[in-house]
Amino acid sequence: MIRLLEVSQRFPTADPAGAVAVLQQVNLQASPTEFVCLLGPSGCGKSTLLNLVAGFLRPSAGQVLFDGEPVCGAGPDRGVVFQDPTLFPWLTVAQNVAFGLKNMALAGTEIARRTEQWLQLVGLEQQGGVYPHELSGGMRQRVALARVMVLEPKALLMDEPFSALDANARERLQDQLLKVWAAQPRVVLFVTHQVEEAVYLADRVVIMGSPPNSVYEEVAIPLLRSRDRESPALRSLIKELRQRLGELPCCLGAGGLR
Amino acid sequence: MLRPSLRTQLFSALLTIALVLAVWFAVAEYVSWLRGVDFPSPWTTGKALAALLAGKPLAAHSLYQHLIDSLCRWGGGFAIAAVAGLVYGLAAGCSDRLGRITLPIVHMLQLIPGLAWIPVALLLFGIGAKATVFMIAATAFAPIAINVTDGVKRVDATYLRAARMLGAGGWQLVGCVLLPGALPQILCGLRVGLGSGWRVLLAAEMIVGTGTGLGYAIIQSRWTLDYPAAFACMAVICVVGLLIEHGLFARLERATVTRWHLSSSV
Repeated sequence: MIRLLEVSQRFPTADPAGAVAVLQQVNLQASPTEFVCLLGPSGCGKSTLLNLVAGFLRPSAGQVLFDGEPVCGAGPDRGVVFQDPTLFPWLTVAQNVAFGLKNMALAGTEIARRTEQWLQLVGLEQQGGVYPHELSGGMRQRVALARVMVLEPKALLMDEPFSALDANARERLQDQLLKVWAAQPRVVLFVTHQVEEAVYLADRVVIMGSPPNSVYEEVAIPLLRSRDRESPALRSLIKELRQRLGELPCCLGAGGLR
Repeated sequence: MLRPSLRTQLFSALLTIALVLAVWFAVAEYVSWLRGVDFPSPWTTGKALAALLAGKPLAAHSLYQHLIDSLCRWGGGFAIAAVAGLVYGLAAGCSDRLGRITLPIVHMLQLIPGLAWIPVALLLFGIGAKATVFMIAATAFAPIAINVTDGVKRVDATYLRAARMLGAGGWQLVGCVLLPGALPQILCGLRVGLGSGWRVLLAAEMIVGTGTGLGYAIIQSRWTLDYPAAFACMAVICVVGLLIEHGLFARLERATVTRWHLSSSV
């Protein structure tokens, strides 16, 4: 379970006296099998929030708790899929998937079995021996998903993972993600700036704005799964969320890249 | 990245050799005519080389003995510089503070010409092989250290984040992320270090009385006015350099950096 208590994050600016507040007093909770999308204009701190949960950053104030324990540092219990796949170019696809397993005390045969299993689950069993640069963007992102899911993390943190893909690949990967999640439910924090994506995937959408209203609004998506992208209920929710998002400025100041 | 066909490569190589020989031949003829001295032509050099290869002694030892001794000194000095440069570069690349304090010293070392180490080497080790090994290590260290540091610093921070997230720590980060990520610059540093080490070795052998070695052989044949033999030694030096570049570095680069699509100019 993910829990943020009064979390604030400031980044230093070029002016040594000043600091930009990116998140202010955020309170957020996600239950162990919940799919939560963080939606908001660029620069609102949604990636920063994800990096705090991942343990890449320490909050300036407040507490980030995972399973009741304060987060200190990154670890395989919280798998991260980045916007850029960040596969290691010097390892083959199979070696990339096996990377995390090799850091655990596992037998070689077990590593091979799990790697093979996940390559199959993401449909890349033929590509195990090739290097990442030979794959398409969508394939690379599937490897990135496989290399964290193979570790059976308790939480999956995804930072605009499909935003660089074309529409077709994006929808396929969304469905693949939902399939994987349905088979092994776990808490997912999914950062996106696309309303359709958020509504299609999430149990709950957290709309984020600029400080001091970092959490602008939380909207439950009560639609049954599996969802139909064209259903009127889904379309009307999209319309509603788009209106909410329209109340916020389209992009916020510095700190957008953190 | 497509490699040109074998035929094109062979043709270019032949043209290069022809160009070198033509210029050499012209210079030899011109100097002989102008100054009335016997400037070794490709032909006389070839004959001298053939005799040396057949076992004719030069400065009391065979050409092979000179070559092997030079290579051993070079290998020893370079190995020391490579290990020290890698260890230093990893440390300085990871720790900003260490880099800030010590990198200026390494940059300063790089400005010291290899031969300027001679008094230091003689004071530390006296005349002999140890002094030359020291000079090679001292000269090759700086370019290796600087390039490795730079390469480690340039490794994309998101790779480190990803590796930590996947449970890697300490030595795995070094061995599985930093070293392969910095490999383009590491290879570049090793190349420069190897080249400068080779050059200073020959110069050191000429000045420090080593008794054997290609540099020693060249300087000795000057005293005996055996210029073709000196030229033959230079030819051997060139061939060794080419073999190292094409046989080792180009291969290593193709097997790693090129295969992974890493570029050194990121």
